[in-house]
Formats: sequence, C-alpha cells, structure tokens
Amino acid sequence: MKMNTHAARMRRTIPLVAAALLLAACSSSSNSTSSGGTPSAGSGSSGASGSSGSTGAPSGSTSAVSTSQCGTKPGVQASGTPIALGGIVTNQPGTSFTDIANMAQAYFNCVNANGGINGHPVKYYIETEQTNPAQIAADARQLVQSDHVVGIVGNTSILECTIDHSYWEKLGIAIITSGIAPECYSTPDAAAVNMGPRYSSDGAVQYALSQHVGKVVFDQSNVPGTGYIGAGPAALANAAHTPIVQLTENVPISNADSVAIKEVQDAGPDGAVVLNFTPPEALIILQAAQKLGLEDRVKLWGCSTPCNTDFLAQALGPKWNSKLFVNAELTPPDSTSTSAMNLYKAILAQYGKSVSGGVGSFSQMGFTEAEIAVHALESVTGAYTTATVNAAFKAVKEFNTGMLCQLWTYGSYPLHIPNNEDYTVTPDNGKMTQAQGCTPISSVDPQIAAYRAAAGTAPTAPTAP
Amino acid sequence: MPTWSDLQPFIVSGLALGGVYALSGVGLVVLYRATGVVYLAFGAVGAFGALIGWSLIHDAGAPGWLAWLVCIATATVLTLAYGMIFGPALAKRDPLVKAVATLGLTLILFGAMDLLWTTGGGQSRSIALPTDNGGFTVGQVQVNWTQVIGLGAGVVIATGTAVFLRYTKLGTAMRAMANDREITAMLGVPVRRVEAAAWLGCGVLAGIAGLLLADLVALDATTLTFLVISSLAAALIARLRSIALTFAAAIVVGLVHDLLTPVQALTNYRDMTPFVLAAVALLVISRHRVMGVD
Repeated sequence: MKMNTHAARMRRTIPLVAAALLLAACSSSSNSTSSGGTPSAGSGSSGASGSSGSTGAPSGSTSAVSTSQCGTKPGVQASGTPIALGGIVTNQPGTSFTDIANMAQAYFNCVNANGGINGHPVKYYIETEQTNPAQIAADARQLVQSDHVVGIVGNTSILECTIDHSYWEKLGIAIITSGIAPECYSTPDAAAVNMGPRYSSDGAVQYALSQHVGKVVFDQSNVPGTGYIGAGPAALANAAHTPIVQLTENVPISNADSVAIKEVQDAGPDGAVVLNFTPPEALIILQAAQKLGLEDRVKLWGCSTPCNTDFLAQALGPKWNSKLFVNAELTPPDSTSTSAMNLYKAILAQYGKSVSGGVGSFSQMGFTEAEIAVHALESVTGAYTTATVNAAFKAVKEFNTGMLCQLWTYGSYPLHIPNNEDYTVTPDNGKMTQAQGCTPISSVDPQIAAYRAAAGTAPTAPTAP
Repeated sequence: MPTWSDLQPFIVSGLALGGVYALSGVGLVVLYRATGVVYLAFGAVGAFGALIGWSLIHDAGAPGWLAWLVCIATATVLTLAYGMIFGPALAKRDPLVKAVATLGLTLILFGAMDLLWTTGGGQSRSIALPTDNGGFTVGQVQVNWTQVIGLGAGVVIATGTAVFLRYTKLGTAMRAMANDREITAMLGVPVRRVEAAAWLGCGVLAGIAGLLLADLVALDATTLTFLVISSLAAALIARLRSIALTFAAAIVVGLVHDLLTPVQALTNYRDMTPFVLAAVALLVISRHRVMGVD
C-alpha cells in the first residue's frame, strides 16, 4: 500500500520535474547575458518605459552652470516646432542598454532647456525591445509612421541593425548608433560611436600581441555572431605568427572555475587570455582565476571594452593591477578633464536621473550620439525633414566629440567603422587607469582595411589624452 | 584529449560544485518527502538572500558574518512564509499545482531582484568568502577552502539528513507523511508542525546553497535562480526519494560537467549534463518498471 501510494505520486511528479527542468533551461537560456553582443558594458535592466516622448523639461537642479554649454541660448527653453528623433534599445531581464538612450535623452533635455536647435526642441522617442525580430521591425515602423521621427539616434540593440537596416536604407535614414550586430558596421546607413565587440576584441588581442605573448586564448560567450567577432582577433594573431585558440562559453556560466582552468591550461605561462564577455560574466571568470591562484599562471589577461568599469576594478582588487588589460573604446572619464568630459558629467548629474549606471561607457555613448546629432542638426537650414536631417547626419565630417580618440565622420561609404582607435586601461586599486594611449586598430583585420580604403584614416582628436 | 594531469583541477572544481548541488538536492528531496512540493523557487530564494547579504556588505558596511547570517535567514523566512501561507491551502492539490505555485514565487523573486539589483551600466557584484584566500595544493592542483566547504557541506548535510530521517521522531513523521499525509494526520502526528519543520530546513539549505554558489559560481540573479536545475536533476535521478542517491547523483553531475570542460568536442554541450543524466535515469527507471522491477 505504502509503495503503491508513493509510486503513484512519483509517476505524477517525475514528468512534472522533467518538464520543469526543460522550462527552467529555456528560461535560463533566454535570459542569459550576451557579451558577444554587448556594445560596451553591462547587462541587466533599468526599467525604461516601452515608449516615451518628451520635449524634455529639465529634471534636475538648475544650479549646474556648465550644462548651459550644451545649447546656444543658455537658460532659454526652446519653444519652436519639435524635431522628432527616435531610438530602439534592448531592455530585458539580464540585458539592458537603456542607459544609452536615457543619456541621449538627458543631453536633448539639456539642449531644450538652453535654446534648443535653432529654437526647436528635440522630442525624443525611445522604444524598448526584447530581442524579438517582429517587435523590432514593428518598433521601427512605429517610430516612422506613428511618431513621425525624422532621424534615428541612440539605437543599441542586439538585433536591431540586422533586422532594420534595409528599412532604414529604403527610407534614406542614416542612423547614429551604438553598434553590436555586424550590420551596424558593414552597411551604408549605420554609423556607430563605439567599436562593437569585434573591433574591441581586436584591440585587446592587439595589445596582448604587442607584449610579445607566445599564444593567445580568445574566449567569448556562445551567442550568435561569435564567428564574425572571432575573425578579427584570428587575423591579428595569424599576422603576428602567434597561435590563437578560440573558445566559447555558454552563458550564464555555471562553473567559472573550470572555465578559468581551461583558459590557463590552453594559454600556457607565456600566453595571454583575452575575454569578450559582459562585466558580470568576465568578473566571475577573473575571480575564479584569482581564487585558484591562476592570475599569474599566464603572461597577461586581456578583455574587450565591457570589462572597462570601475565596478569590475573594485571587485577584482589589487592583484589585477597591471595584470589585466582592457580595451577602452571611449576616453577614460576618471582621468580626463576636457570641456566635453566636464559637460558630459554635468549633464549626467543634472539631467541623468534615469541613467542607472552613472558615469561609464554606456552613458558616454549616449552623450556622444546626441552630441553628434545636435551638431548635425544645427547645420540644417530650413525645415527639419527626413531628407534634410539625414543629409546633415551623413555630412558630419571630422567632428571632435571629446569622447573618442579620433575625429568622427559619417560620410557616404558602403561601411562605417568611424571609431577605430582605442585606449587600453588596467585596474589600479579599484579604478581603471590608462595603460596605453590612442592606438589604431590594425588594418590586418580585413574589415578595418576595407573601411580605411573607403574613408581613409581619421585624424586623432586634439583632445585625446 | 586532455591528459590526466590536465583533468585533475577539473575533478576538484567538479567535486566542490557537486557538493553544493548535493546540499540543494537533499533540501529538495526532504521537502518533497514531507510536503509533496517540488520547490522550484529554491534557487531564487537563495539568490535573493545572497543579494541582500551583498547589499549589507556593500551599502551598509556590515561585517561579512552578519551578511552571511542574514542571507541564510532571508532564504529561511521566505521559504517558511511561503510554506505556512500557501502550503496548507495547496496541501490537497495535485503535485503539478503545488510546483507551479512555487514557480510563481520564483518569478516574483526574479522580477524583484532584476528591479532592485539591476546590472545596467556594467554593474557587477560578488561575494568573496575569506575561505577563498586559503587552501592547499594536491600535486599540481590548487584547492581552496571554499571548495572544501562546498564538498564537505554536501557530505555533512546528506549524512545528517539521512540520520535525522531515520532516527528522530520528527524524521519518522516526515517519512510517514511522504507515504500518506491523511493517515499520518489521523495517527496524531502534528502535520502542520512537521511540514513547517521541512520548509524551515529547506529554507536554511537554500540560504547556505545561495551563499556558497554566490562565491563558487556568481552573484547573479539569473545564474543562481536557474542553478537549481542541476540539483533538481540529481533529485530526479534519486526519484525524489533517496538521500544517498541524491548525493551521489549530484556529485556525478558536478564531476561530469566539469570534466567535459577541456574536451573540445563536448565542452559547449556540458551544460546538458543534468538533463542527459536525468533522462538516462528516467529511461532506466521506466525500463525496470516495465520489467516488473520497482
């Protein structure tokens, strides 16, 4: 009797548990962070609304003097016909890029409060998506057909460039974006302010090769696009006649100890381990290496831009000072005091309450994209239409953003990699500090070579440290 | 193919992880035996406790030991509260309903964690136990004390629980309830109190597992919430019945998972280890049942 009762309950429960295992596995997979697809740093969510439009009254204090530099008429609220701009960002559990669009919104709010653009305020619409292709396509059409935007600025999405680039090209819309997918760099109507995972990984591997390592282990998250990203580091290592081992890890990583051990075993004492993961995933690998005493078992550790956060430097501690070298696509904010950097920090403080990550790569990107857009819009004479606005975007040439190594150019090219010089930073007692100044990404990467053949090499920015 | 010396560090890491899976699996089995609930929120309550512990250390400057206690207490209170509020109401429902209700708790906690501890803007968190910094070397392999604690906790909890169920009055009552709740109640066993004890114990284990996994794996809501999969697989292999088999299965899951890491052809499939082992076990169990062996 007892056995029968238990057996009956078991017969009902075991299929249930099996189903739960599968369900949980699916949830785990869909919620995992996608570092290969990270524009710069971070994953998570920050609670942006699905769609918002605002002409941007200032939300912060009015006492910050330096924010008045963002507009041409300090203290005068713009009251003309709004210029509608839009952006699409990924926002889902585990992966959120809303800080970028929210920082662009903060910049536009500042501009609107200080005279606007030739008297016109910017009305900025933010659409959020959950890596659903149909939703992303619908978001683009919503912005154009319902919100009547005339330009796209601040896009940061795992799939958006892939899904929408044909639509933008058909409409003649030249987007200013933070790139992730290959199409953000390889199509005529998309130009990014960041390098994206491939070229940032190039930069990290290039630094390791410059330190004469005997072997490179390049490890990245197992998400779509790993082949595209890995092609750059492979080209660089092959050109340097240095062996390279390419690894991929399923994320979230279920045991970082074994990942760190494998990387170190593959690299050897004269080798380098270069990571391309989101900050949480990179952190657990590096911490696992530290716990197992592996940090000194290779010549150096490298990481693409996502590792460039003080959160990571603080969590790692001093053992990684001058041991971990991180590619930085944007000017390090802590050690820079240029007018653009000061304006960025002031706007963030006064208008950036919704920017959850504060100072960092994400908000720097949002600032830079809005800054470029405003610079372009100020050159428009006459009506702000899709044609005039996007022509102005494409006409941006050698603009000093104050945030990048190079002057930034859009131009009419078949592909756009306008940010192709990087910094390298290293942890220094809880802060990321500069280890190497602006260095061009090698043209050994065939995509970089193709871009430079089309657009030339942009001059180094006069404000670059 | 990796050499034997290449594999040795993976054995150590696999044993440590398997130990924590065992600890979690034992908690799940004990709760199931006493209440008939497959507690899918085990990982989420552990994660919630660990994140509160992190906040205490990081934001309030609390000492580590206090944060660890609060982590365990949080998981315990959440689990006990759930058991006390929803347990009686769902006691006579089908196991499917009971399990789905715990999935609801999982989703609520997961959403709360995503809201309260966002990882936007590159934020990343970690809990480091002092035992990370000490250890010893076996051959060429560095072993730290946290790994030893992971395996040791699994052994101690599994052994202690088996003894508790066999030799104590409360354990006997739990085993009786596993067979028939109604008859056990008619025999005068205080069913609510026994169930409360099971929820309490499960909550304590969830807190300990959350703390250890936050250090051994990652302090991340998604990762910790779904790490319960491996423990569930171990419990399933043991047919949600045997403590010893749950322990053994959890160790095997941890070991196989990590030993596949250096095998190039299989490394990207190693996360399937719990599913594959559970599926094989189910097939073997059903084959034995068809052949009349139970």
